[in-house]
Formats: sequence, structure tokens, C-alpha cells
Amino acid sequence: MTAAHGGGRLVVDGLEKQYELDGGAVPVVKGVSFTIEPGTFTSLLGPSGCGKTTTLRCVAGLETSNGGRITLDDQVLSTGTEHLPPDKRDVGMVFQNYAIWPHMTVFANAVFPLQVSGGKLPKKEARARAMEALELVQLDAYAHRPATALSGGQQQRLALARALAHRPRLLLLDEPLSNLDAKLRDTMRNELRSLQQRLGITALYVTHDQSEALSMSDRVAVMNQGRIVQEASPRELYYQPADRFVADFVGRVNMIPAVVRERSGAGEVLVEAFGTRLATPCPDGVALGDDVTVTYRPESVRWHETAPDRPNVLPARVVRVEFLGEIVEVEVEVLAGATVVGTLVARGAPLDSPASGSSIFVELDPNACRVLAG
Amino acid sequence: MTVTTVIAGSVIFLLLAIPLAVQVITAFRGPFLPFGVSSAKWSVDNFVTLWELREDFWAVLGSTAVFVGGSTIISLLMAFGLAWVTVRTDAPFRRVISVLVIVPFIVPPIVKAQAYLLMLSPESGVLNQVLRLLPGDLVVDPYAFSTMVVIQSLTNVTFPYLMIVPILTSMDGSLEESARVSGASWPQTLRRVTLPMLWPGLLGVTVLTFILGLGSLEVPLLFGQESGKDIFALKLWTLISASAGELPQYGLAAAWGCVFLVITTIAFVIYLRATRDAERRASISGKGFRPTVMKLGGWKPPVLLAVFVFTLLTAILPLFALFWSAITPYPIAFSFEALATQTHFTAFGEVLGDPEFWASLGRTLVIAGGSATIACVAATVLAYGIARGRRTVWTKAVDLFASSSVAIPAVIAGFAMFLTFMVINPVIPLAGTIAALVIAYSYRVSIAYRSGYSATLQIRKELEEAALVSGASPLEGFRKVVVPLLMPTVFAVWIQMFILGTNEFTLPAFLATPESRPLSVYMYAMINPRSAQLYAPDAGAAMALIFTLLVFLIGYGLQWAVSLVAIGRARRRSAIPGLGARPAAAPNDPPAPATRAVAAQELEEQKEFADR
Repeated sequence: MTAAHGGGRLVVDGLEKQYELDGGAVPVVKGVSFTIEPGTFTSLLGPSGCGKTTTLRCVAGLETSNGGRITLDDQVLSTGTEHLPPDKRDVGMVFQNYAIWPHMTVFANAVFPLQVSGGKLPKKEARARAMEALELVQLDAYAHRPATALSGGQQQRLALARALAHRPRLLLLDEPLSNLDAKLRDTMRNELRSLQQRLGITALYVTHDQSEALSMSDRVAVMNQGRIVQEASPRELYYQPADRFVADFVGRVNMIPAVVRERSGAGEVLVEAFGTRLATPCPDGVALGDDVTVTYRPESVRWHETAPDRPNVLPARVVRVEFLGEIVEVEVEVLAGATVVGTLVARGAPLDSPASGSSIFVELDPNACRVLAG
Repeated sequence: MTVTTVIAGSVIFLLLAIPLAVQVITAFRGPFLPFGVSSAKWSVDNFVTLWELREDFWAVLGSTAVFVGGSTIISLLMAFGLAWVTVRTDAPFRRVISVLVIVPFIVPPIVKAQAYLLMLSPESGVLNQVLRLLPGDLVVDPYAFSTMVVIQSLTNVTFPYLMIVPILTSMDGSLEESARVSGASWPQTLRRVTLPMLWPGLLGVTVLTFILGLGSLEVPLLFGQESGKDIFALKLWTLISASAGELPQYGLAAAWGCVFLVITTIAFVIYLRATRDAERRASISGKGFRPTVMKLGGWKPPVLLAVFVFTLLTAILPLFALFWSAITPYPIAFSFEALATQTHFTAFGEVLGDPEFWASLGRTLVIAGGSATIACVAATVLAYGIARGRRTVWTKAVDLFASSSVAIPAVIAGFAMFLTFMVINPVIPLAGTIAALVIAYSYRVSIAYRSGYSATLQIRKELEEAALVSGASPLEGFRKVVVPLLMPTVFAVWIQMFILGTNEFTLPAFLATPESRPLSVYMYAMINPRSAQLYAPDAGAAMALIFTLLVFLIGYGLQWAVSLVAIGRARRRSAIPGLGARPAAAPNDPPAPATRAVAAQELEEQKEFADR
């Protein structure tokens, strides 16, 4: 069964899409390019209106692009001028609100792709395949219920079964988890990922939720204002964000404005920040006197009751301690003498949490930061 | 797809635009027909005549304003009160009340008007008999103008009631609750929160009731001729029924029609704005909710009494009067002596043995069924095309036009259709035929269009896109997803238009000949003292009762059959062996997360739009 699935290689090259509005053409996707290797999981991550859903719909064929090429294996899906209609593309898609047909049973929904011209099969075979797809998502026992009798999570799984029933080479998912409650979302996230890996299908996933993108994907492409700003593995994205937008959008981050002052060793510089000098790694293409932004993830900011004998230790005062269960979040004011020169947010284990109002020292490990130009 | 949309659009255009154009041209082309006669030439003579007879003009305008305006206000107040009692209070017997209120809806208006006339008869009328039992010298004069206004209100009250109930039902109770929690009393909440929220919706209902009142001929025809007041509908009708030796004054009638078309156009614009506002306000809420219930307490007896009086006046007494008239040979007052000695049941047999009764019944079914089919098919196809297509100035114009038949009063539609068939008769001889009536009845196409439009909008676009991505061609997607989802709405609208068609009197009053007349017109001929040969009040009353019963059976029978089919389908699905059965559910329940998901997506789209 598993062998029958498998994935294709999707190449999107220079995709352009404009919407016609009263005033003229408004570009939504401005030259988006990426490649998804067979059997891997790629997410398009970005805020509302960044063009991620439009990109996905262009791949599905629900929107006609204005430029750029989309190919799946050797098959050209779309050029700027010619477009294969969606029913000829051999893709499966899960919609944000599932788009389960309310007038059909669960089974009728799942068997639909095998009854229509795009993937028509003999009746018996279609039936077996649809039941197989329902088994994959553990809905086989519900096959002949009306689709509307399913709960939200079940409808979501049915949408997945329907998208997989005709064994497409590419699975498209448009924020499929956003209508589920938090607990169900976590479960479905794991199920979806393991199913994708088991079937070896190529997946393109659109989301605005960074934790979804980081936890499920092999690769994540962060989009902003119609462009891909960074495409990388989840780890790289988190620790090596390409710019301030990515750093801010993916996870929480402290951004410290700074100026490069002197070189202090191999690949290291001293920057001026918080009225003092901090040692940081030297980013590429930065000269002395340039403005930079030093970014620290909250969990990389450590606190101490007494100052350790290491670089980048600053005196601070705790202004807020927030208990979040497995961690605490601590907001501190960085002090230079008696004056407040900035604030930082740190996260750590709840057991050694400082008290609100106490004076502590924060340590900014030079190896845990990322320096961004500008 | 586009081609069918264009065809459907053209059908609707022909249905609505041509007759109105013919009417306007007639107003500017001579005293008789605008084409094919020697007197036809471009002129404003008809409007000059209208102005020369301005005393008459102002009198008609004034009495029409009082008649239509007054009856609209009264029926709205009654409808709002009844709807409030059934939806928003803890009054006992609410279910019974809501059924009783709807009963008059299935009674054809011409039957209702006739029943009221019988009920109000000064000597033999049952209402005046009841009033005489009470102290004081109360006698209702059936031909007083004020009586006519009240009768018109009672005839039309079900229409606003049926429109107000959903408005009240869908109102989010939490909005009122928050006002109550903020310290407002019930009357304050009503005044500051409830009414302002309902206002646009109620304004829309008001306009539609007004246009309905302006367009219906039944009450003016039966009461107005005696009361000496010229109501617009009656004026139009008398202008075209020529007295002996004269040519009918089509041109002048058309000029009258133009004046009132301007008035209803203004009303229609108000309606459009009101519904737009109503939709905007409705979209604020959208969660599942139940309207809060007002506790009546000590007000229960007076409320129930009011409802009882209403039922007495709209259902019990009129139907009794009708029945009494059917079993007595001539108008006599009810008494047990008369009941014992003078009653007979031969009238029912006469009606059932009358071949013309069966013929006109057959014509009624053909006309109502044919017109409902034309209107539903054309309107649904067009509505789908417009609702799914891109919004352009063009589609907005088509949308407005296809919705505009609600702005055309039935008398104007009937008159304009009559003129049109006269004009085209030398080329296409349809005047007076059943086909002409089918076409004329179809003019109410906007009812089907609006329903089709909102039904299409409710089918989320993703449902179709999901079919495409699953490998279905656009045609397959339409056939397998859209059509089954639209069907329940189309059926419901078809039944509604079919009942409207069987009840229709105003249109055939202008268009039908004895060879093509439907039951409503044949029945009017039997109860009208002026139609010497046919006049037979007892048979007429019997026919009215049979007519009402038939409409009731056919209308509700159809609805019942449709729901049986739906339930059967649901049963068959769950009856597949080896699988968990589920009790028959409404097959077209929206999927569970629909509202929330749609709301979320709309919000997202708005955001995306703003971001762009």
C-alpha cells in the first residue's frame, strides 16, 4: 500500500500573481521560487496577506499565475501563460475549513476523486481504495454516516483521506489545523507528519503558526509581502534567521540595537549596546561603525545572582516574573549605574526563578546570539 | 457555463424589461395602443390629461396613500406583535398561535376578500351579528373607507409576519442580555438596543408590504367600487375596462402606471439600502444563539385575548361566513331556525359537477406550475452565475435588475403584460392564452433569484474547489456538488411560487379570458353580482372553500413529499448494512464548523485585503 504512494518533485520558479482590483493590478506573489524534494515536507510560513495561500492555490491550479513556472516531476503544471486545470494536476488538497461536502456520506466524500474524470477507477477498485484511505485516518468505521455527523477533528481527517484517496504525488494543505482546538491540534500535527512520512508523499503546507511549521517540516520558507525571505531547515531558521523579520516572526526574540566598534579576535567584534561593550560573532559584510541588531532568544538569556567571570554580563533588575508551567518568563531592566538602558526577556527553569524586584545579573552568551545588519 | 448564465439573464430581462418598456411607450404614444393603430404617435397628451384631471389625480393619490399606507402600518404592527409573542415571549400555546397565524397565508387573497365581505354584510354578516349581541350600537359598515383599510391589513398581515419571524429569531439574544446586565429595563432595552438593531430589517419588510398592498386588486375591487374611493389598483382596472362604445384609455392608464412606478422605485431604493444595512448588522453576530425570552407574567391573559380576537377576525369568522354562505341559497342571517330549515349542501355538489370548475382548476395548476418552473430555473442559473462570478459594474447591474420584480406592483405588472401581449399579438398571438398567463406569472422571478443567490453564497467556494482538486471537471463539480446542494432551496422556492401562482388573482384579472381563466377568476365571476349569468353566491362560496382546501392540500402535500424524499435519502444512507445507523437527520445541515470557519476566513480575507 505504502509503496503505491510516493511523492513527486515540485519546482516553483519565479511565480508571480496579481489580483485585479478596481484601481489596477495588485501584486500578491512577487517572484517566489522554491523546490520540494520528493517525499519531503515543506511549509510556507508567514503572516496574513503575505501571499502564502495564493502561492499554494497557484500550485493547485485554483488561481492562474501571471508568471513563472510550476513543475511536478517532468510535468509542467503552469507557465505564465498556460495552465493545467486543477483536475488534471494529480494533487490532493486539504482546505482550511475542510470543504467536506455536506450532502454526501463519509464514504461518498472519500470515493469522489476515484469516480470523477481525473482519477476514475472501476467501481470495486474505487471502493477498496476509498476504504483504504479512510483506514489511514481511522474513519473506516464511520464510512456510511452523513459527513455532517462528524466532529471537527473527524472532518479534518476525512478531508485528508479524500485528498489522499487517488494517491496524488503532491499533498497541499492550507492551514488545515487552524480550526481545531489546541489539544486536538497537537495530536493532529503528529498524525499528519507521521502519515506523510509513512506514505512518502511530497507535502506543501501553508500556515501562520510558527510552532506548526517548525515541528512538522523538513524545510520552512518564510514569506513576507509576496516574497520568500528565508528558506531553511527549522533549526537553521530558528537560530540563524536571515533578517529581523524572520527573527521576530519565528519565535520570540530580544532585539538589541547596537553599533560595531572594534574587532576583538578571530571572527569576533565588540559592539556598543546598553551603554557598554558586548562581544558578539562578526557577521559577514559589516564594517566598523555600522548599525546592527543583536538578537537573543529568551531562552539564551541566562540570569545569575552573582556576576560570573565571563564576558557580556550586565547588572539588571527584575520587573516581572511570569509562571508558564514548565518555564518562567522573566522581564528585566538592564542597568548602567542607576539608569535603565534597556529591557530583556529571559526564559528558564522555574526552580531558580528570581523574585520580582530583585537585583540580578544577566549573561548574554556570545555564542548564542545572531547579529543582523541594520 | 457563461452561455447558460447569459441565456437565463436574457429570459429574465425579457420578462421584466419588455412589459415595462411597452407600458412607458404606451404612455407616450397616443390614447390607445402604441403600435399598429392609426392614432399612435409620440406625444405627452396622456400626461397633460392626467394634469387636467388633477383633482381626480390628487384624490386617487390621497386615498391610495391612506389605503396602502394605513394598511401597511396596521398589518406591520399586528405582524410584529404576533411575531414577538410567538418568538420572544413565554406566552402559552405559542406553537398553536404560530400555526393559526399562518393559516390565512394559504387562503387565496380573493377568497379572503370575499369572506370578509360576507362576514361584514350589515344584515346577514356574522361579525355584525356578534356585535349586536354586545351592548352599544356597534355596526361595521363594510363599505366605509376605514373598514377597507382594516380589511386590507388583515388580508396582508401574514406576509410581514412570515418575514419578521426569521428576523426576530436570528437576533442574537446576548446583545439584549448585555443591555439588561448593564442595568437597562425591558422597555429601555427594547427601545435602545432591540429596535435599532431590527430597524433596517423592519424597514425592508415595510417597503415590501407597501408594494404588495399597492399592487393587489382583490380588496379594492370587492370593497372599493361601493365605497366611492378610487384606489390606484382599481383606477387602473376601470380605465382599461372600456364602457360601451368607447375605446379603452390604455395611454392614460399607462401614464398612471408610470407615476406609480416612480413611487415604487423610490420605495425599492429604500428597500435596497435597508437590506444592505440589515445584512451588515446581521454579520456582526453569527454564533449559534437562542433569542432571549420575555416573561409575560400578568400580561398573559390580555395577550392571549388579543391573539384570540385576531384569529377570530382572520380565520374563524371569515371561514364561518364563507361556509354559511355556501349552505344558504341567498344571504340570510345566521339563526338556528335558518340552520334547521333553509340550509342545503347542494352547492358543493354543483361545484364538483361543474366541468368549468375542473377545467379552470387544471389551468390553474398548469399556469402556476409552468411559471414557477420557468422562474426557478432561469433565476437559479442566473443567480449562480452572478454570485460566483467576479463583481463588476455589469454583474452588479444584472443583480439589481434581477432583484427588481419585487418593486413592481402586481397591478402594474398585469397591466404592462396585458399591453405587451396586445402589441405583439399580430406577430405572436398570445393575448388571452394560457401561455400568456404562464409568462405573466413568471414576472415574480426575483423571489427565486434572491433565494438562489443567497443559497449559492452559502455553498462555500471551497466545496467546488475541493471537487476540482479531486480531479472533477468543472461540469462534474457543478453536477455532483452544486446542484445537489442548491436543490432543496430551489424546491422550496418552487413550492412557494406555485402556491403564490394558485392564489394569484390580480394578474389574471387583467389577462385572462373565459377560455384561459384560472380558478380564482372563475370564482370571482360567480360571486360578482355584475356577472349576471354566472352569479351564484352559494356555489361561489362553496368553490372558495374547495379552492382553499385544494391549495392547502397541494401546497402542504408538496412540502410533505419533498421532506419525505429528503428523509428517505438520509435513511438509505444510514441503512447500508454493517455500519452504524443514525436516525434520519436533516440532510443538508451545514457542517459543524461552518459558521466559525467562514467567519474566520472572512476575517482573514479582510485582513489580507487590508494588507494589500
